[in-house]
Amino acid sequence: MHPALQAVLTIVIGVGGCVGYFWGANQILDKLIFPARGAHIARNISRANMVRPWLFLFPALFALGLYLAYPVVATLWLSLTDRDQGGAFVGLANYRQMMGEPKFWEAMRNNMLWLIVVPAASTGFGLLAAQLTDRIRWGNLAKSLVFMPMAISFVGASVIWKLVYDFRPEGQDQIGVLNAIWVALGGDPQTWLTITPWNNFLLMVVLIWIQTGFAMVILSAALRGIPEETVEAAIVDGANPFQIFFRIKVPQIMPTIVVVWTTITLVVLKVFDIVLAMTNGQWETQVLANYMYDKMFRAFDWGVGSAAAMVIMILVLPILIWNVLNARKEMR
Amino acid sequence: MKRSFLSGAAMLALTAGTAQAADMVFAPGEGGFNWDSYNAFAAAHDLSGETVNIFGPWRGDDQQLVESVLVYFAEATGAEVSYASSETYEQQIVIDTEAGSPPNIAILPQPGLIADLVSKGFVEPLGAETEAWLKENYAAGESWVSLGSYTGPDGESALYAFPYKIDVKSLVWYVPENFEDAGYEVPETLEDLKALTEQIAEEGETPWCIGLGSGGATGWPATDWVEDMMLRTQPPEVYDQWVTNEIPFNDPKVVGAIDEFGWFAKNDAYVAGGTGAVATTDFRESPLGLFASPSQCYLHHQASFIPTFFPEGTELGLDADFFYMPAYEGKDLGKPVLGAGTLAFITKDSPGARAFIEFLKTPIAHEIWMAQSGFLTPFKGANAELYGSPPLKKQGEILLNATTFRFDGSDLMPGAVGAGSFWTGMVDYVGGKSAEEVATEIQNSWDGIK
Amino acid sequence: MDNIAGTKSTLTWAVHLSVALLVALWLFPTVGLLVSSFRTGEQISNSGWWSSFSAQERQAPAIRVAGAERQEGALYVIEGELYPDTGAAVSAWGTSSRAPEAYGPGDVAELKDGWALSVDAAGRYRLTAPQSFEGERLPRIFSTATAPPEFTLDNYRSVLFGTTAGTGVGQAFLNTLTVAIPATVIPILVAAFAAYALAWMEFPGRALLVAAVVGLLVVPLQLALIPLLQLHNDIGIGKGYLGVWLAHTGFGLPLAIYLLRNYMVGLPRDIIECARVDGATDFQVFVKIVLPLSFPALASFAIFQFLWTWNDLLVALVFLGTDDDTLVLTARLVNLLGSRGGQWEILATSAFVSIAVPLLVFFAMQKYLVRGLLAGSVK
Repeated sequence: MHPALQAVLTIVIGVGGCVGYFWGANQILDKLIFPARGAHIARNISRANMVRPWLFLFPALFALGLYLAYPVVATLWLSLTDRDQGGAFVGLANYRQMMGEPKFWEAMRNNMLWLIVVPAASTGFGLLAAQLTDRIRWGNLAKSLVFMPMAISFVGASVIWKLVYDFRPEGQDQIGVLNAIWVALGGDPQTWLTITPWNNFLLMVVLIWIQTGFAMVILSAALRGIPEETVEAAIVDGANPFQIFFRIKVPQIMPTIVVVWTTITLVVLKVFDIVLAMTNGQWETQVLANYMYDKMFRAFDWGVGSAAAMVIMILVLPILIWNVLNARKEMR
Repeated sequence: MKRSFLSGAAMLALTAGTAQAADMVFAPGEGGFNWDSYNAFAAAHDLSGETVNIFGPWRGDDQQLVESVLVYFAEATGAEVSYASSETYEQQIVIDTEAGSPPNIAILPQPGLIADLVSKGFVEPLGAETEAWLKENYAAGESWVSLGSYTGPDGESALYAFPYKIDVKSLVWYVPENFEDAGYEVPETLEDLKALTEQIAEEGETPWCIGLGSGGATGWPATDWVEDMMLRTQPPEVYDQWVTNEIPFNDPKVVGAIDEFGWFAKNDAYVAGGTGAVATTDFRESPLGLFASPSQCYLHHQASFIPTFFPEGTELGLDADFFYMPAYEGKDLGKPVLGAGTLAFITKDSPGARAFIEFLKTPIAHEIWMAQSGFLTPFKGANAELYGSPPLKKQGEILLNATTFRFDGSDLMPGAVGAGSFWTGMVDYVGGKSAEEVATEIQNSWDGIK
Repeated sequence: MDNIAGTKSTLTWAVHLSVALLVALWLFPTVGLLVSSFRTGEQISNSGWWSSFSAQERQAPAIRVAGAERQEGALYVIEGELYPDTGAAVSAWGTSSRAPEAYGPGDVAELKDGWALSVDAAGRYRLTAPQSFEGERLPRIFSTATAPPEFTLDNYRSVLFGTTAGTGVGQAFLNTLTVAIPATVIPILVAAFAAYALAWMEFPGRALLVAAVVGLLVVPLQLALIPLLQLHNDIGIGKGYLGVWLAHTGFGLPLAIYLLRNYMVGLPRDIIECARVDGATDFQVFVKIVLPLSFPALASFAIFQFLWTWNDLLVALVFLGTDDDTLVLTARLVNLLGSRGGQWEILATSAFVSIAVPLLVFFAMQKYLVRGLLAGSVK
């Protein structure tokens, strides 16, 4: 069969199957198992309502469990065993070995830096871009342009920025923008990516450049969702635009800001393509995800690689806890 | 076109039609090729209806070249051949074998990685017959057999991989006319090379272009330097002890070799852009300095593949040439040659996979590629007259004149060292750290994986 | 939709200016790559892309005299042009790498064996000798020339129609679409139901599930590859489209659920409560009220998931395989790069070939985004 036809067919089957599942399961629940009529109508309705969430959740939980939770468990197991000894249980030996490596601590330190700078800068720029572009006529065009980096793969982005940071020896034409400007201002050409600790920030710029578009799109949606009455009331009260922005708008979209912030945080924890493509963690730019990749696929040390992955998982705990607390609050 | 009994197989191959089914670049029966062996192979193998999946490291132009060879295999056997590669082929092959969906044949340039796959039981042994064939038919056959032999999951050492296509690494590239313009001579000894380096620097020019940049693999070109220097300062036995870690990485002998490299790379006057530029200059762009005007450098140390990255239209032998990276006259270590190469091995057994290994034993599998470009072989049965260009022939001669041939040490070391700490260590070294410091760090990483 | 707040004109100008600055800053690197994709590899590595718009004087690498010889009386002559078709103006030239600017245009250089070479300002050269050039090595000409801007479509030609990739770009395009569309639609549907349940339905363990979803967001993809491919091989899916779709669905779900749930939680409670009081079931509430109101969130996630699947290389390679007839566009483009890594001109061009569709999607979806937002705000 032609792949295009196959694709169309599968979209129909897949989507149809999903819709069919949700609708059909719902029907069966309401009409057959716990019909909302007859002698036990009240009991049936409450029972149906107890089952229904799980009907809605089942496909998602199944896929999540299979594709993400199962690998996590497998990884946890791998991190406690040694493949070279036929998968024997070695306790925390892998973790101990990892803690003994200076590269690991370098990765930890850099990751912390990434975790602070990238989400803050992306969200900040995103909020700024969202607020500003919402107020001008060519705002949509501007938005598209700022969003464009999102459409470029990480590898493509790394290429773009490598060109920006490129270095040519003194006396030759610089082909990197940064060095060209630097030289024009009277400096000597620099090999930017080897200058610690600033090279870390230069790598972060790449991710900020990509993620700002994401933050902007989501935050702009949130800004537009603010009831106009609140803003109008503030204008009537004589508030200036800055006050309106920071006192009225920002607090109202705080939940969305938090979502954007955490989402970008999660991207940061996982990102390794940029580091891999631009420095491969050399010149003290190692990050955890790249460290893990290094251990898994270059050193074939799955024990330590898995242990590094578990550390990444642990780093997300604060977000996890915060989310649980938040969800609890909502329920009250 | 001449078609004898082959036409049947050819028709089959055509109807089976791989997506890239290119034409046969050399018509069967013509030229100095060993067509007899090919015809005999074709007569002995019929794999109609079978698919042979081959996974290799070659992409871009190299992919076209390897596919031009595979066409002959497909036509001879009637099998459908599917070649694939990937930018992250090392990772891909690990995932595929671990998960149980490997190709029939995998071809990799890293013996260290193959050893790892063998020890986990993912590779099929090639058998005693092939081992005997290699010993018999490859120049210095023993060394090739030992290169392809690994310890299997049963603890026994056996031949698992078939060396096919090698690169010579001990080459220095230069522009002959720039040498003439400046009145330089091609050095015959390492002493002369150092003297030439000093002379060029004294004249206010820059002798070397050295670039270690290679994205995620940044640092590897320096490992070739160090290996070449190892072979030029120590006997080959010490080299062997080094790559197997029988002597530690921070042994004074190794540290000395690293510092030999440092003599060239860590002198601002000797490298284009200064030492600071060495680690960040991309190895693909580094040789371009030879061709710039005014020339940025006069010498470039790199393996035989590098002309791919020369400016378009560069004619080897005329616009650019190479000489053998010379040895110390005073050390009496002969003429050591450093090389690298790819090895083919069976990751999913099938008649087609076995037939492919048999195909690699025919001269034609070597001749088709060597008659085009970028292919060297130690196979004595292949017609050396067919080398596609004089430079290739010259590289073949360097290979033949070698008193010692050693495989790229970083490829033989465990991945964590040879494709990890050795690379990064070299970057740190040109970045300012001392050879002892760097070597100790690399040794620590080696200790870590034991 | 604009001008909700202050309307002072200076402020408006400031806004315009700062947006322009922001856009320029964000666009600049990409423009660099775009311009580079129209230049040759040699140009890219020799001069900054910004200088490609103006005439540039530079010392060019040596060009060897070439052409057929003819006889003029006693002299053998070879004539040719250094810069055919470009109209570069030569200001100095030479024949030795040590003195590349030894002569001016029109000068005659005496070489060995009575050879004479001259180069004029337009780059036309003339080499003469008393004997035939047969079998001789012809001299090189170093030149310093001012070349007008020059762009080429060759990169695009070789990426789209070249022999290595050309045979497969169309097929690869289709393969990518076959992967990307279902891998975008299915997770959205599955996630929307789950997100609704997590946002608006009461059941024990809800908070725990939300937390679990967030936790799964950080699972590094590389971890999951081997166990999952193993699983696919064991249950008989093997390598194929079904496997990729499932994998992308699995990997995309946490973000989908997370974003959608957060959006849905923010929907006005009254509307949903009212509907429930009116006797609507959860299924009806979801389909008739929540789903339409969540359109903007659905659209934004669709964009992200589509971009992700479109740009993905790793998942496709692992779960779809590397056969020619299933290679996706990213994999096809990667194969263009030589075995030993990338060349800038090809990287730049492939980046723009692969970026075209995601951008189109974004521009197209953006309308829906806005429309969805407007619909959502009508209360």
